[in-house]
Amino acid sequence: MLDFLVFAVTMIAIWSVVALSLDLQFGLCGLVNFGQILPFALGAYGPAISAAHGGSISAGLALGLAMAAVGGVLVLAPVGRLSQDYWALVSLGASEIFRLLMVNVTPIAGGQDGTAVARVSNPLAALGLALGLLLAMLLLARRIDRSPLGRLMRVLREDDLLVATLGRNPFRVQALVTVVAWLMAALAGALYAHVVGFVAPSSFSVAETFIVWTALILGGAGSLLGAVVGTAFVQFISVSTRFLAAWSGLPFDLVANLRLGIFGVVLVLVFLLRREGLVPERKVRVDAVGP
Amino acid sequence: MQRFIHSMVGAGAVALAFLSSGAQAQSKEPIPIGVIANLTGMDVKTSTDMVRGIQIAADAVNKDGGVDGQPIKLIIEDAQYKTQEALNAATKLYDVDKVPAVIMFGGSSIELAVAPIAKQKGKIIVNTSSSSAKLGDFPGTVYSVLPLDDIVGKALGEWTAAQGVKSAAFVVPNNTFGTGLMDAAATAFEAKGGKIVAKIAYSEGQPDYRADIQQLVSSKPDAIMTTGYGDDSRTIFKDARTLGLKQVWYAGYPSILTVENEAWMNGHLMGVDNGGLSGDVAKKVGADYAAKFGKEEPLPHVFYGYDALMLIARAAAAPGGFSATTMAKSIDGYQGATGAIKWDVRGQRIDPPIDVISYKDGKFVTTGQQ
Repeated sequence: MLDFLVFAVTMIAIWSVVALSLDLQFGLCGLVNFGQILPFALGAYGPAISAAHGGSISAGLALGLAMAAVGGVLVLAPVGRLSQDYWALVSLGASEIFRLLMVNVTPIAGGQDGTAVARVSNPLAALGLALGLLLAMLLLARRIDRSPLGRLMRVLREDDLLVATLGRNPFRVQALVTVVAWLMAALAGALYAHVVGFVAPSSFSVAETFIVWTALILGGAGSLLGAVVGTAFVQFISVSTRFLAAWSGLPFDLVANLRLGIFGVVLVLVFLLRREGLVPERKVRVDAVGP
Repeated sequence: MQRFIHSMVGAGAVALAFLSSGAQAQSKEPIPIGVIANLTGMDVKTSTDMVRGIQIAADAVNKDGGVDGQPIKLIIEDAQYKTQEALNAATKLYDVDKVPAVIMFGGSSIELAVAPIAKQKGKIIVNTSSSSAKLGDFPGTVYSVLPLDDIVGKALGEWTAAQGVKSAAFVVPNNTFGTGLMDAAATAFEAKGGKIVAKIAYSEGQPDYRADIQQLVSSKPDAIMTTGYGDDSRTIFKDARTLGLKQVWYAGYPSILTVENEAWMNGHLMGVDNGGLSGDVAKKVGADYAAKFGKEEPLPHVFYGYDALMLIARAAAAPGGFSATTMAKSIDGYQGATGAIKWDVRGQRIDPPIDVISYKDGKFVTTGQQ
């Protein structure tokens, strides 16, 4: 049981970093990224491509981070001055293009079959790395959140025109946030690859993006702790319903569908009863400067 | 009266001894066996039938007294065709339920993600549905009751050429199974002098494939070679009918395809399939399936699931109990629902019996062996 809990917490920590990355983009800056799985996948494919071509672990990590940083700018560039509807669609399309590229171009990293990468075989070491990464990313996000940049991001979220009137370039802020957030998700992706020991396109479908979105909205967009709590909540429901299913003694096919039903009902109830999320965004109070 | 009391006491003692021996057999700890299948999401029908096959096998083993008196207990988990869910399911089964083996319904990429964890924990995966050659990278961990793509693909290509087909186009799902089988069949077909005029690998789960298969109209192949799964194949056939295609379909595993229009498809779908399915064991399993789950026609995955559990039970009953060694030897002398099973040194199935089957009058019939 302990091994199972260690694995579950490891996964919660990794996916929390992905949710935290989305929180920086959407929760704080208002960037609607419907392709959030893409930076995670780029980070995971760095080690995969490196392993498939005889490279080292550090080379894989560097490759994953580089792909995420460049990828973020490339995806944002064509739509930076357009409304968020376009950013949502382009990011969604980009994530699918990358996944299909990995499916169809086998020499890159094994195609549909995927690629094995070096695995962190000690579960406690994997847990330590995941919690360490989460803590570091939480501190980084908190630093950004409370900095002038964080305040500017919130202004941008509410009104990009206002940012421009303050003499700031909204696109530059968005690009900076995108690069930082995508690097965070890429680090999580690289760790995921080494914890699981295997990378394949099927791990990076659109559905995964929306699970991250669910976790963020559930936890409370704009709240850093909310991103972690939301991810933990989603994972907890997913895992705990497996035990409820076994306990019920109902036919297996009915149980499988009931699990999803319970999952949906709980999510709807939380959305109805806690519209601001489980950990709502904290109001920022700034003392007025006297005359 | 005393005699009566003595006889009653004696009878009671015998009954008590009988009951206690029975209770001993019943009280033996069950052997937990894990099952991971896609019970929601994609491939639900095929996954469900695999689980049903496993249940039929478990019922048969338990009815015969279990494994040395220990009944088999199935713990069935849903993977939703998602890697993360499959990992959650596998770690629960291995770490919480303490199963020695898991029977898995893939795809390949999902099974390959679980395999390193199983290997590290010294557990077994019995693969019933995936056909990636990479599954062979885990000898002693992954055993397949389904033959790899290259075997059935080669049989399909050679048999299609033998039917006098000169040119063919492929329509397969864009996954390891589809493209792997296509590549092997194309190589074998071309080696026999055939010509491939189109290769169409479609993304699964689409509501309409006319854009994908439109090029069949212009390329005008003599025949279409295919494989795939239920819902997708039904849509493909419907779209082909709508486009006016009249070619014969030569399929790898035709029995897992779903016919959309019986009259249109009558005599126009044939191919090569696993040969054990026409044997006596398969007929018995088919009858058990009908008795337990109704008259619905069982998919071949029923038989793969059945064989997977039977092999695990044989390994568990072997001297020394369940292990990678006894699992490797479990096929010795085994005649299963999918025929005799032979594994290579990697635990992957080779030399399966191959049947030729055709779709006639609303059902698949075996017309020969290859």
